[in-house]
Amino acid sequence: MNPPAQTPFRRAVKRFRRNRLGMLALVSVGGLFVIAAVFAILSSADIPFPSNPNATNLERKLLPPNPINWLGTDNLGRDLFSRMLHGSYISLTVGFVAVTVSLCIGIVIGAVSGYFGRWVDNILMRVVDAVMCFPTFFLILTAVALLGPSMFNIIIVIGLVSWTGTARLVRAEFLTLRETEYVRAAKTLGQSTPKIIFRHILPNAFAPIFVTAVLGIPAAILTEAGLSFLGFGVQPPQATWGNIIADGKTYLLDAWWLIVFPGLAIFLSALSFYLAGDALRQAVETRTERK
Amino acid sequence: MLVVILVTAFLTVISFSSDRKNELTIGSIGEPTRLNPIQSAESSASEVQQFIFESLLHFDENLEVETLLAASYTQSQTTTLRFQDDASAATALSQIEAARDSWPQWTLQEGHVDGSTLLLKFSLPGLDASESIFALLDAQATLPFTTLRAETGGKARQVLTAFQALEPPPTIIRTWFDYDAAFEITVIGDGLACQTRLDEFLAAQKLTDVTAKVIETRPFLAEPMVNFLLRRDVRWHDGEPFTSRDVAFTYQSIMDESVASPRKPDFDLIQSLTTPNPHEVHITYRKPYSPALNSWMIGLLPAHILKDKPIAWWNDQFNRHPVGTGPFKFFNWKTNESLRLVRNDDYWQGAPWLEAVVFRYLPDPVSIRIAFMTRQTDFWGVDPWAVAAFRDDPRFQVFRYPANQYNYVGWNLRNPLFQDLRVRTAFAHAVNVPEMIKYILYGNGVQSNGIFPPHFWFSDPDLKPIPYDPAAATRLLDEAGWVPGADGIREKDGKRLAFTLIVNQGNEVRKDIATLVQDNLHTVGVEVEVAIYEWAVFISRFINKLEFDATVLGWSTGPDYDAYQVWHSSQTNPGQLNFVGFDDPDVDALLAQIRQEYDPVKIKALAGQIQKAIFEDQPYLFLFVPDATSVIWKNSFRICRPDGQGGFVDTPVEITKAGWSYYMQWFYRPEFSDNLPGGRETLQP
Amino acid sequence: MTTFILRRLLITAVLVFFISIISFFIITLTPGSPYPWGELNPKISESVKANFRKQFHLDEPIWNQYWFNMRGLFTGELRSIKDGRPVLERISERLPATLALNLCAMTIALSFGLLVGVYSAKVSGQWQDTSLSTVAFGFLAIPEFWVAYLLIIGLTAGFAVPLMGTVSHGIIFPNAIAATLDWIWHLALPATMLALGSIAVQSRYVRASLLETLREDYIRTAQAKGLSPEKVLYHHALRNSLRPLITGIGSLLPALIGGAVIIETIFAYPGIGRLGYQAVLERDYPTLVALNFITALLVLLGNLLADILYAIVDPRVRLE
Repeated sequence: MNPPAQTPFRRAVKRFRRNRLGMLALVSVGGLFVIAAVFAILSSADIPFPSNPNATNLERKLLPPNPINWLGTDNLGRDLFSRMLHGSYISLTVGFVAVTVSLCIGIVIGAVSGYFGRWVDNILMRVVDAVMCFPTFFLILTAVALLGPSMFNIIIVIGLVSWTGTARLVRAEFLTLRETEYVRAAKTLGQSTPKIIFRHILPNAFAPIFVTAVLGIPAAILTEAGLSFLGFGVQPPQATWGNIIADGKTYLLDAWWLIVFPGLAIFLSALSFYLAGDALRQAVETRTERK
Repeated sequence: MLVVILVTAFLTVISFSSDRKNELTIGSIGEPTRLNPIQSAESSASEVQQFIFESLLHFDENLEVETLLAASYTQSQTTTLRFQDDASAATALSQIEAARDSWPQWTLQEGHVDGSTLLLKFSLPGLDASESIFALLDAQATLPFTTLRAETGGKARQVLTAFQALEPPPTIIRTWFDYDAAFEITVIGDGLACQTRLDEFLAAQKLTDVTAKVIETRPFLAEPMVNFLLRRDVRWHDGEPFTSRDVAFTYQSIMDESVASPRKPDFDLIQSLTTPNPHEVHITYRKPYSPALNSWMIGLLPAHILKDKPIAWWNDQFNRHPVGTGPFKFFNWKTNESLRLVRNDDYWQGAPWLEAVVFRYLPDPVSIRIAFMTRQTDFWGVDPWAVAAFRDDPRFQVFRYPANQYNYVGWNLRNPLFQDLRVRTAFAHAVNVPEMIKYILYGNGVQSNGIFPPHFWFSDPDLKPIPYDPAAATRLLDEAGWVPGADGIREKDGKRLAFTLIVNQGNEVRKDIATLVQDNLHTVGVEVEVAIYEWAVFISRFINKLEFDATVLGWSTGPDYDAYQVWHSSQTNPGQLNFVGFDDPDVDALLAQIRQEYDPVKIKALAGQIQKAIFEDQPYLFLFVPDATSVIWKNSFRICRPDGQGGFVDTPVEITKAGWSYYMQWFYRPEFSDNLPGGRETLQP
Repeated sequence: MTTFILRRLLITAVLVFFISIISFFIITLTPGSPYPWGELNPKISESVKANFRKQFHLDEPIWNQYWFNMRGLFTGELRSIKDGRPVLERISERLPATLALNLCAMTIALSFGLLVGVYSAKVSGQWQDTSLSTVAFGFLAIPEFWVAYLLIIGLTAGFAVPLMGTVSHGIIFPNAIAATLDWIWHLALPATMLALGSIAVQSRYVRASLLETLREDYIRTAQAKGLSPEKVLYHHALRNSLRPLITGIGSLLPALIGGAVIIETIFAYPGIGRLGYQAVLERDYPTLVALNFITALLVLLGNLLADILYAIVDPRVRLE
C-alpha cells in the first residue's frame, strides 16, 4: 500500500547535495549539535573546560578579548567564551523540544480537522483562530511568569503557542490527500481510521511537515532569546546566549563584546537552520515550485 | 526614497543638535504614577513634585530643617496632671510657682489649674522637664495615665471603633493608631478596669489573636504642639492665594480613607489641627513623637481646586495636571516619554532662569546613558562601572556624595540555620565586602556599619564593620559544629549548610552581590543557590510571606532615626518590614524611647545604642553604603540663587550635603544669561 | 455577503468572550500580586493596603473579579491599579505613537517585500534570486534587539545623534520641516528594526505567489499572444498574486503589536507594547484585561477584513 519511498528520497538527497549553501548550513547545524552535546555533558558533569563558566574573578572583569579570555570577560570577570559554549545547548534544546511539542499538537489537531472535515474541522479551526488571536508575546510573558522561568517551562510555553501554523498546514495536506485514490481504496478495504491517518496519509505529508519543523527551530531559538532579553528567559547563573546579552546590555557602551558575540552566535545558528531548512524544502518538493 | 529621507533626517537632526533650548532635561527610569504629594510614595514622583509643590518645611543644603511656606514655627508642649481632688491640684500649682527660678531651665511658660487638673505649658516638647517637675510634687495625690496597646494586624480601626461603641462607652482619653497594625489607648488610673473590659470585648468578638497589654504608666499626659505662621506672599499657579485653609485641607485629605494616602501614619499622631486665621496653623499631637515635625515636609494641596471633588477626579484630572505653588508649573505629561514643567513667572522667591524643566522617562540604565551621551538629557546618575571613565574626561563634571541608603543580606532568623550568631558572624567574615566595593562599585562607597549610614548625624562612627577574614569564618563555623562533608560543603547532624539567596530582577548591583556572596561562601564550605524573581513575585510570594532563607536588599531612608517599622519585634508578621524576624526586647525599648526624645544629644546617644545592639546581633550582613554619582556636561549650567538678603549669588554647580541638585531650580545656562539680574556682568569668566 | 459578515461577527463575539475568560485566568493565576507603591515602603499602613485590595476586588473569588473587570471595561469605569486612571484612556493615549510606528513598519515591510519579491521572481533560479533568498533568511535570523543595539552603539559612538523616544528634546529647530524630519528620524529607526523580519517573510510570499501565478494558463495565453514579459508580469500576474500580501496585512497587525515590546524598550518608544509589558511586571490586571481584549478583537476583525478584501481583489473567492 505504501507509495514507493526510496526513489523520491534518493532524488531529494541528490538535489540537496547539489545545493552548496544548503550543505554548508547543514554542516554548521551539525557542528552546532556536536558542540551543544559535548558541552551539555561537560556542564552537567561540572567539568571546567575551557574554564569554569561560573567562576567569578573580579580582578579580570569587563576585559576585552585577549589571549586568556578569547572573547573577553563579563561584569563579574567570568570567561565569555566558556559561558557561551556551556550555554549553547540551552538554545538548541529549547528550539528542538519546543518544535517537537508544537508539532505533536499541530499534527493531531490538523490531521483530525482535515480528515474529518465538517463540524469537527469548523470547531477546531475556530480554536486555531482563537489561539492565533492571543497576543502571543504577552501570553508567553504571563505564562512564564505564572510557571516560573525554567528551561522546561519556556519550552512548553513556546510549544503551546506556536502549533497553529503546523495545524493549518497539516489540515490542508489532509484535505487534499484524503481524496486521493489510495486513501479511498484503504477506506473501501475497511481499514481503521487511525491506521488510515497515520499509515497512509501522514507519511505522504511528511515532507512539508518536516520542513516546517526545521524552519520552526530558529523561530523558537529567537523567541527564547527575546524572552531572555526581557528577563523572562532561563535564569542566571546558568548562561544562555540570550541572558548573556540581557546582562551585557547594561554595559553596552563599555563592553561591546558582551553583546556582539552571543548575538552573532544566535544569528549564525538561526541562519544555519533557516538555510538548511530551505535547502531541504527545495530538495523534497515534488513540483519545482509550490506555495 | 526611504534611504534618502532617512539620510536627510539624520543630517538634520545631527546638524541642529547643538542648539540648546533654555531648558534643563533630566533622564529618569522610574516614572511617577501620579503627581500628588499625599498619594504618591515613590522617589520618581517626589523628583518632579519638588518643582511643583511646596511644603511648610524642608531640608536646607546641610540637611537641616528650614522653613519654606511657613514664615516661622514654634514648638511647645502641654503637660496635664490629674489629682485626686481640686485641693491637691491647687497645692501642686503653688509648689511649682514656688520654684519659679527653675522655670527657664524647665522651659516652663505657665501653669494653671482647672478643677482637679493641672495644665503646664512648656516652650519645648519633651518628657524630661515634666518629670523633673513631677518629682517635686506629692506623687500620692496624682492619678497616673496608663496606656494599653493592642496588636491587631491591620484591623486596628475596626476593632477600636467597635470597642468605643460599647454601652456605656469606655472612658478613653486618648487613642492612637500605629500604622493600623496596632492601637494604643490611654486611660486615667491603673487601666486594669479598661483592660478587663477590652479583654472581654475581644473574647466576645472572637478576636483571639489580638492581645492588649499595658505598655506605659505615666504620672502625666504630654501633648506636644507646633504653631506655624504662614507666608503671605505665596500664590498658587492659578493665582489664588495660599492660606491656612490649604494646610488644613491637605491634612484632612491625608486622613480621608478614600484618598488612601501612604503618608497617613505620620499624621495619625495629630490630635487636632486648627486654623485660627488664614495665616496661622495650630497643631496638637497625641503624644511626644519627635520625627513628627519632618512630616510637614509634605507638599501641600490647593483646597480651592480639590475640595469636594471625588477621588476619581483627583486621579483623572489633578494628579495628571497638578497645581502647586512651586517655581515651575506643570505643562504636559506624555506617558512613557516626557513630563514638562514650565517657569512660574510669579514665583514668590522670584522666577527661575530656566524656561522649562523636562523629565524624560527611559526604560533602563543603558537608554539613560545613551540619552545623556547624545545630549538629550543634561545629567546622568552614572553607573558605577563608568565613573572612572567619566571622571577623567574633561568634557564632564562628576559629583559624588554618599547615598541615603545601605545594602545588606538579610538572614531569615526563623530558619534554624541562621539562629546561631556564630554562623551569621562567620558569614560576615567570609564575604569580601571591600572587594565588592572595589570592583562592583569601583570604589564609590563605604562598608556599612549598621542600620544608619555613617554620614547621618546620629550614626555611631565608632562601630567598626566586620573585617573580611575567611580564617575566622572557618573557625567560627567549626565552633558552631558545622564540619566539612564529603563534597566540601559543611554539615551538622546530617544537615547540609546550604540555603537559597533570593534577589529581585532588574537590579544589576544586587544580582552581582548575590553571585559574589555565593562564590565567597562557597570557599568556606557553604552552598548558596541564587534565585532571581521579578519584583511582584519577589515581594508577594517570598518577602511578605516570610518564606525565604536569605535575601539581598537595600533600605533607602531619609535622615530618619525612627527605625521602628524595620526592627521592632511587633513588626515581624507577614507583610511587615521586620521580615527577617529580629526580636530583641532591649532594642524594642530603645526604639520606642528614641521616638519620644526631642533633645539631639540624647537622640544621638540612643541611636548609637540601637545601631550597636542590632549590629552586634548581625541579623543582616551589612554590606555597603554606595555613593550617588552624577555627571553633567561641563559648564552647561551655573547657579544664580537668592542669597537670603534680597540679592543673588552666582556660583558654579557645586555639591552640597543634600546633593548637587539642591539648587536645581536656580540653574541657568550660561548662553542664556541675559535674563539674570544684572545680565552678563554677574558671570565670572 | 451580509450573512457571511454577520455570522463571522457572531463567531468573533463568542471567541472574544472565551479568550477574555482564558486570558483573565492566566493573568490572575500568575504569582505575585499588584504592589503599586514601588520599592518596599515602611510608611504604607495596613488599612491602605486593605482599602486598595477592596477597591480592586482582589480578595474576591475569581468570577467576581472577572465580572468586575469586564463590566468596568464596557462601562469605561475600569481603572488601572497603577495610577487610578481609566484603562481605556491609558491605552488610547498610546495609540497615535503605536499606529505611527506600526504603519511605518508595515509600509517598509510591504513595499520592500513587494520590490524584492517581484525582482526575485523575475530572476527566479538565477544567482540574484539565491543571494536575495539568503539575505532574506539572514533578516529572519537576526535577533532584532541585537541588531538594534549594534545600530545604537554605532550611532551613539560615531555621531552622538539623538535616537530615543519620539522627538529630540531641548534642541532648537529652525523650522517645522526640520522638526518633522526629526520626528521621522525617531520613527524610522525603530520601524526599520521592526520591519526587518517582515520584509523577508513578505518578499518570500510575493515571490512564491507570483511564480505560481505565472504558471497559470491565462498568463501563458498572454505570453503566447506576444505581450512583453514586463507587461505580463506587472499587468496580469502581479494583481493576482496580491493575496498573500493581504494575508500579510492581517497577520502583521498582531505580530507588530506583540513583537514591538523589545524594540519599543530599546528605543524608549512610548507604544502599547511597553504599556503591556509594564502591566505584566506590575500585575496591573485591569490594564492587561483591557489590552488582551482589545488586541483579540482587533486581530479577529483584521482577519475578517482580510477575508472580505480577498473577495474584492480575487473574484474567484466567494464568501459563504
